[in-house]
Amino acid sequence: MAAKKQRILVPDHDYVPKHEIMSKNEAEEVLERYHCNPTELPLILVDDPAIVGLGVKPGDMIRITRASSTAGQSTYYRYVVEV
Amino acid sequence: MWSPTETRRYSVAEITAPETYDEDGLPVQGGLMDGRLGTLEAGQKCLTCGNTAARCPGHFGHIELAEPVLHIAFIDNIHKLLLGTCRSCSRLRVPQDDLDRLSKVRRREAAYTVISQKRVPEQILEKAKKSKDCPHCGKPQYELIFTKPTIFIEKDDTGEHRLLPITIRERFSQITDTDLELLGYDPATARPEWFVLQALPVPPVTVRPSIILETGIRSEDDLTHKMVDIIRVNQRLKESKEAGTPPLIVQDLVDLLQYHTTTYFDNEVSGIPQAHHRSGRPLKTLTQRLKGKEGRFRGSLSGKRVDFSSRTVISPDPNLDLSEVGVPESVAMKLTMPEIVTEWNVERMRDLVVNGPDLYPGVNYIVRPDGVKIRLDFVEDRSTIAKTLEMGYLIERHLLDGDIVMFNRQPSLHQMSIMAHYVKVLPGKTFRLHPSVCPPYNADFDGDEMNLHVPQSEEARAEAILLMRVQDQLISPRYGGPIIGGLRDFITGSFLLTRDGTVLSREEFSNLAMLGGYGGSLPAPGAPGGAFTGKQLFSLFLPKDFNYVITSKWSKGTRGGEKDVVIKNGELISGVIDKSSIGAEEPESVLHRIAKDYGNAPAKRFLNSVLIIAKQFITHYGFSYGYADLELPERARGEIFDGIQGSYDTVYDLMSQYKRGDLKLTRGLSPAEALEAHIVNELSKARDAAGGIADSSLGHTNAGKIMASTGARGSALNIGQMAGSLGQQSRRGQRLLRGYSNRALPHFRENDDDPSAHGFVKSNYRDGLSALEFFFHAMAGREGLVDTAVRTQQSGYMQRRLINALEHIRLEYDNTVRDPHGHIIQFLYGEDGIDVAKSDHGEAFNVHRLIESQRIVDSGRAASAADVAAIAEKYTGSFNPRLRSTVAEALGGCGLSRGGLEKVGRKGLDLYDKAKVEPGQAVGIVTAQSIGEPGTQMTLRTFHFAGIRERNVTLGLPRLIELVDARKKPVTPTMDIHLEGEAASSREAAIEVALDVLQTSVSDLLASSDTDYSTHITLELDPRAMGDRGCAAGDVVDALSSNKKFKIEEHGNLLVLRLAEESETSAVIAVRNKVHGTTVRGVPDIERVTLVQKDGGWVIQTTGSNLSKVLAVRGIDRSRVETNNVSEIAGTLGIEAARNALIRQLHTTLADQGLEVDMRYIMLVADLMCSRGYMQQIGRHGVAGTKDSVLARAAFEITVPTIAHAALGGEIEKLKGVTENVIVGNNIPIGSGTVDLYMQVSKKRQK
Repeated sequence: MAAKKQRILVPDHDYVPKHEIMSKNEAEEVLERYHCNPTELPLILVDDPAIVGLGVKPGDMIRITRASSTAGQSTYYRYVVEV
Repeated sequence: MWSPTETRRYSVAEITAPETYDEDGLPVQGGLMDGRLGTLEAGQKCLTCGNTAARCPGHFGHIELAEPVLHIAFIDNIHKLLLGTCRSCSRLRVPQDDLDRLSKVRRREAAYTVISQKRVPEQILEKAKKSKDCPHCGKPQYELIFTKPTIFIEKDDTGEHRLLPITIRERFSQITDTDLELLGYDPATARPEWFVLQALPVPPVTVRPSIILETGIRSEDDLTHKMVDIIRVNQRLKESKEAGTPPLIVQDLVDLLQYHTTTYFDNEVSGIPQAHHRSGRPLKTLTQRLKGKEGRFRGSLSGKRVDFSSRTVISPDPNLDLSEVGVPESVAMKLTMPEIVTEWNVERMRDLVVNGPDLYPGVNYIVRPDGVKIRLDFVEDRSTIAKTLEMGYLIERHLLDGDIVMFNRQPSLHQMSIMAHYVKVLPGKTFRLHPSVCPPYNADFDGDEMNLHVPQSEEARAEAILLMRVQDQLISPRYGGPIIGGLRDFITGSFLLTRDGTVLSREEFSNLAMLGGYGGSLPAPGAPGGAFTGKQLFSLFLPKDFNYVITSKWSKGTRGGEKDVVIKNGELISGVIDKSSIGAEEPESVLHRIAKDYGNAPAKRFLNSVLIIAKQFITHYGFSYGYADLELPERARGEIFDGIQGSYDTVYDLMSQYKRGDLKLTRGLSPAEALEAHIVNELSKARDAAGGIADSSLGHTNAGKIMASTGARGSALNIGQMAGSLGQQSRRGQRLLRGYSNRALPHFRENDDDPSAHGFVKSNYRDGLSALEFFFHAMAGREGLVDTAVRTQQSGYMQRRLINALEHIRLEYDNTVRDPHGHIIQFLYGEDGIDVAKSDHGEAFNVHRLIESQRIVDSGRAASAADVAAIAEKYTGSFNPRLRSTVAEALGGCGLSRGGLEKVGRKGLDLYDKAKVEPGQAVGIVTAQSIGEPGTQMTLRTFHFAGIRERNVTLGLPRLIELVDARKKPVTPTMDIHLEGEAASSREAAIEVALDVLQTSVSDLLASSDTDYSTHITLELDPRAMGDRGCAAGDVVDALSSNKKFKIEEHGNLLVLRLAEESETSAVIAVRNKVHGTTVRGVPDIERVTLVQKDGGWVIQTTGSNLSKVLAVRGIDRSRVETNNVSEIAGTLGIEAARNALIRQLHTTLADQGLEVDMRYIMLVADLMCSRGYMQQIGRHGVAGTKDSVLARAAFEITVPTIAHAALGGEIEKLKGVTENVIVGNNIPIGSGTVDLYMQVSKKRQK
């Protein structure tokens, strides 16, 4: 029930950028592009309020579309980890 | 870690004798100075390896301890293991299933367990502590009492039993390897039984050399002293054990042995007395050697000493070139530059050699190709040796004009604190530098000293020239604007030169033009009679196609400012050149434009020329400032006096109003506070008025006014204080109210409320202050000094932490920002990959400037809309979205021809590519410097009243520190809550929402409360308070009904709480306090609310913050609820939201102080702090403490525990970061050190 409540509350805040789960292929493509292991990516905890509503599990990758004061828009990736 | 076996194996001698030397002064066999432990004196041969002092590394010995003792550095680990393992079977007191599960996590079965892995030991210990019986063998476990520092006691049914080291050792030796691995131990390198010492290694004598004083007496090292103590006690203990002494006495001796070994490792353990030297000084033992600023890590290993450097006092020389440094001849003759003899320079070299070391310019050493170094001091006949000079010889010659050297002033807060200058050898004993390079060094000439380093290799010189020259540091990487520029008299000079009416004769003009390095022909005379104007002279040095329009500071100050400085085709048409055109730290100035549009070298040339002619002009003009310049006409003095008297009368009036009780009140303030606010306000008006009169009665030709209005030095306030009135002196932002009983100084009557009795200074500096005024002034002055001292300390520590957290972060070849272990911090630096230092005030390039300069030469019809779109499309493909739209928009509205647009597009793309960051760039260090350096300029004033004192917030340096500390709760939490719907527009609805936000607890609604301390509590509700807070008695009853300790009887405004059972007084008081604290309405922790109208909508500003609860309140705009508590945002909105909030908070904190720091730096710090999925502090508990490198962590803080922990975990130092490589003496992998060469040995190995 708590998760459902947060799903309503969280994503509509100005501070919270768009988070989306990436497909396996997309994730692999990103890892290939940056030539890195998933653990070398920035991390995000599974219980992070911004993603609990998305049904994520540890090991997923999240694409974050940020509003940027320098570039207008930018993309960031985070790897979902256990707490 | 060494096991006892290993200790014995490494040992070359067992040490048993407490004596060091015998009567003949020879080392005792088996003593602490045994010849087998290594050599001290030159010529002596080592008894173990046969080498002399230079080559013998020293050898360990050992002491066999009669009783085992605990190792103090591992005492916490011993404690944890005792708590976590079974006392009989030594297994972890956690069920096998749990262990299996955790070992899976530990074995990294999945990548996503990175964080859980680190928490495995914690979880095990947590669980183990709780278990009463061992889940493996079922034996009962007893309570463990740990008396710091070294005593463990087990408490069972029969009583308390001391756990002796020997028992601990036995238990530990049975712990299985798999259990240890779970706890993060590496059993191969560190078994826990080794925490109990049986054999103590004795370090080689080279570690603890003895010194011979002039008197011939030998003085031993502190460590030797401590070892002697250990050996003595050990011998005694052995003897008493053999003699069968009572166990109690033996135990005392064991404790003494434990004490001595403990202090041998660490002489600052809390709970035991320090060991002292005979002289009373505490001994410096192992831990003290490593730890702290002067310890081995920070003092010796991270801080290297260098040759080829010198230090002396600095003084100014405006005749130097900006990029030169004046070096005294005596220094130039000591510092040398290596030069290889070639066929092109032999002759010159021979002359230098003939001059020798004592005649400038000469040579100090000659190095022959076979490596033999000849010192010319000892060579009698130098001309012969000069003749033998051949190709390939290396001579170390004196510094000559034009050599490149590095010049530095501490504290080195940013990269501009070390710049490369060209040598100019001068007479005298000080280093000379151009006054205009003072701002980047933050130098002045009140006795400052600076350091000079001479790079010795071609590579070093090449890097210095390419990266560090003054001209390449004109633009500060902090904000992408110029940091070097004209200042003081240079500004005044250029103002005097370029103002209307300055006329120069043909001769004067030519002389000045030549001085500035002008080589062209004279322009046509611009003034009558064949003379020239000052503007013409200035224009000579402008690029011929330069066009620019700005407002001068002078015009802004005197005429209210319009775009008065007009430069057209390199000609200054109108306006004066002052601080806003050529000043230091002035972005968007003429200087900045030239540097950006024409490059650093032309900008430096321009500045050099302008400065020297300004200097020459003002010297001839004769500009001075003195006592007479502050003389006011009698009428003005009278006016000032009357003004102040008038203000005093107003203050008296305010005070009588206050006494009568009809003072106009301000919301949120008590009457006394309101009075104080009014008085302060009135008195500051009095000071301003006095200053204004003084300022306006001085003419425009007054030197002080010229300096203030052009920005050369001083301000109108300074003039006002010198000629008008000094005004109110304050301490801690308040008038001087306290000190003695009811008065500030004993010279006043008690409760004297005259403004003069509380620090208002009527006099000015020119007339002088009265003794009392002077004292008040000194009080305020002292505060300023203390503030500065405290601030430098605080910001220095913040800078150190920032540097430590960010030093190893660099830009990789794939444009990602990573630490050397590959962890990505940002996928694209600053999200747009632009280097601020190469940017145009933070932008990749300035399209509008490009269009402006194109417009002048542009010809032809304006391009069609389609063409514009096509061109924009063609060139902006690689740009980021924001830049693309800015450029497209600018191109669209400019009306240039097609060809012009093409040119602009091409140039823009070119500039964009040039502004990108380069791989290897030390983005981390530049970030840390850009945030740390302005820290020194911030205020220490903790509080600021936002609005009319209704809410105060922390700002300045304390707030910045709070943010990088990632505190759980800021000192002053506040929220800004935007409203939605009706509440946003109607005040009434907004108030209703505000009442739902403001916490109303029972105590806020009470008129009185009573209790008989045993059966009931009576609450009398206050109807007015309830009205204000919008609560009814029913609400209170509802709020209290969940408490089952009493029943509520409601009698109108009277509530009687009957306790369910008769209780003790203390219990009743507890219940009463609980009742008073119960929240009736609103959100807990919100202490105060204020309604403010912002952008047409109502906003609730609060004191106190509680984001999650506020989000649930009806009527608020959920998407625009803000709090300054970043950790709270991380908890309720997630890590990405926290990053955004952190960026916002850091930016506003810096911007509030008027400090410009580029967003990219703030973003990097925020991304770093949020990169692990939770907020990490910049400091030892966060980023700096979780570095992968042991050495880097040890060099930062908590040195010894870090090393001990690394030892038991068997950590491996990969030497990839910066600190590690400095410590071992390698090149650092940052910048040009990033480049590495790899070779594939065998292709087959690849997969």
